[in-house]
Amino acid sequence: MPFRFFPSRLRQLFRAALLLGLPFALWQLWQANREGDGSHDLWRATYDPIHFAPAILQARDEDCLVCHREVLLDRVREKSPAGLPAQARRAAYQEVSTYAGEQETFHRRHLVTPLARELMDLRCNTCHVGHEPRDEAPGTSATAIRQGSLRKQVDVESTCLKCHGRLNPEQMGLPGPWPEVKAAFGDSCLSCHASIRSVRHRVNYLKAEAIEAAAAKDSEICHGCHGGRAWYRLSYPYPRHPWPGSESSLPAWAKDRATESEARFLPPPTVDRESRQKP
Amino acid sequence: MARNRKIDHDELKAALERKLRQTEQAARPARQLGFVHHNVDCIGCRACEIACKDKNGLPPGPRFRRVLPIEGGRFPDVYAYKINMACNHCAEPACLPTCPTGAIWKRGDNGVVDIDSSLCIGCRKCEAACPYGAPQWDPQEWVVKKCNMCIDELEAGRKPYCVMACMMRVLDIGPIEDLWQGRWPTTAVGPGEKPVRQVRHMANPELTGPSIAFVAHRKGRVDER
Repeated sequence: MPFRFFPSRLRQLFRAALLLGLPFALWQLWQANREGDGSHDLWRATYDPIHFAPAILQARDEDCLVCHREVLLDRVREKSPAGLPAQARRAAYQEVSTYAGEQETFHRRHLVTPLARELMDLRCNTCHVGHEPRDEAPGTSATAIRQGSLRKQVDVESTCLKCHGRLNPEQMGLPGPWPEVKAAFGDSCLSCHASIRSVRHRVNYLKAEAIEAAAAKDSEICHGCHGGRAWYRLSYPYPRHPWPGSESSLPAWAKDRATESEARFLPPPTVDRESRQKP
Repeated sequence: MARNRKIDHDELKAALERKLRQTEQAARPARQLGFVHHNVDCIGCRACEIACKDKNGLPPGPRFRRVLPIEGGRFPDVYAYKINMACNHCAEPACLPTCPTGAIWKRGDNGVVDIDSSLCIGCRKCEAACPYGAPQWDPQEWVVKKCNMCIDELEAGRKPYCVMACMMRVLDIGPIEDLWQGRWPTTAVGPGEKPVRQVRHMANPELTGPSIAFVAHRKGRVDER
């Protein structure tokens, strides 16, 4: 019996350590189990119906933000790692008068900044329409829910391009690219668009009346989204809503265009009746 | 990234002015480099991914290069192949004009779209704008990072780590126009194979003009736009 050789004080200490250690070990086991449950919760959340159609298309932002609240809480760094203060620099598109406020993250700039609240009504599911978690490349599993683009959970061509596409001077009938000819038009989109394509922005993710009112005050507001600097080389093929005084014959390039926005972006009928001008 | 280095503010200001001039308009390089990948012969070992993460010291999460397994079909007409993509070093990158601090620019010599993450403030606009998912968020450093084609290796006359790690020799770099035309000698393209600019599921190359060439699987082909 090895303990017999130890002094009794040491034996008592050993017993005390055992008594304290046992609950600690049990607590650690409980913790480990709890963490196990945590990863189970992650899988359960990943496959929650809200991530799939049709539930995702009916989800409210509050439902998404229960788990993804960081998209609105996260802020930019105060300084870059090299010590550049976040507010010290602005890109060209941030120099237009309507681009107010401090540097913000992508999601906050589109959802909660004052200009976003004034002119837009973007929802999480305006862009995020769900994806199959087992697909690294969308549309490749038997249960795939959409055809999207590789490596992205949002399809740029059907979302971002709607506002951040290139202006198309050929189709607009401009003598050259807008940055080169804008002086001749008083640098105002409304010099033409007061009468041409005047029925616009009639979708549930934009506030059409607020946009018109803001543009009437300051034509630079248009550049807040369109063409201050286009992100992409393509132009979005907007649906061709008729406008008051529009010609009945369509130009060749508009022949295959949709005449109405996608069904899920159509504004509620009551709003539509009030706001839509009759051609 | 050196965290405790003393900052020379004059040097920083001069560097920023230089960068911002470069970001106003994407450079038109004399010779645009791009990646080429053989979708069929790639075995999906992900050695390229790991070599990239190792070289760039990336934590769990961000992956500059990603091997994407594509599987499908019905018996007996089943198929499996890989698409392998990092940054495509586009002719007109969407990430570049979104950057408020001028951290992203396109190199005039080889067309590499480079990023100086030490100037990044973490607004994540470039990440959203890229149609190909190239800019990667590093949640530990709170900055965006991306593939710069191992520019230090290129300048030393070597190829990027991902290319050097490819045991099947199905990933390579070269002047992209020559690669598209099949004029560039590379192990990634077999005899009689014609590289294409787009494969199924890849975002429309007309958006930004990505410098990427693939040898496509028969099920991954799309009509060239």
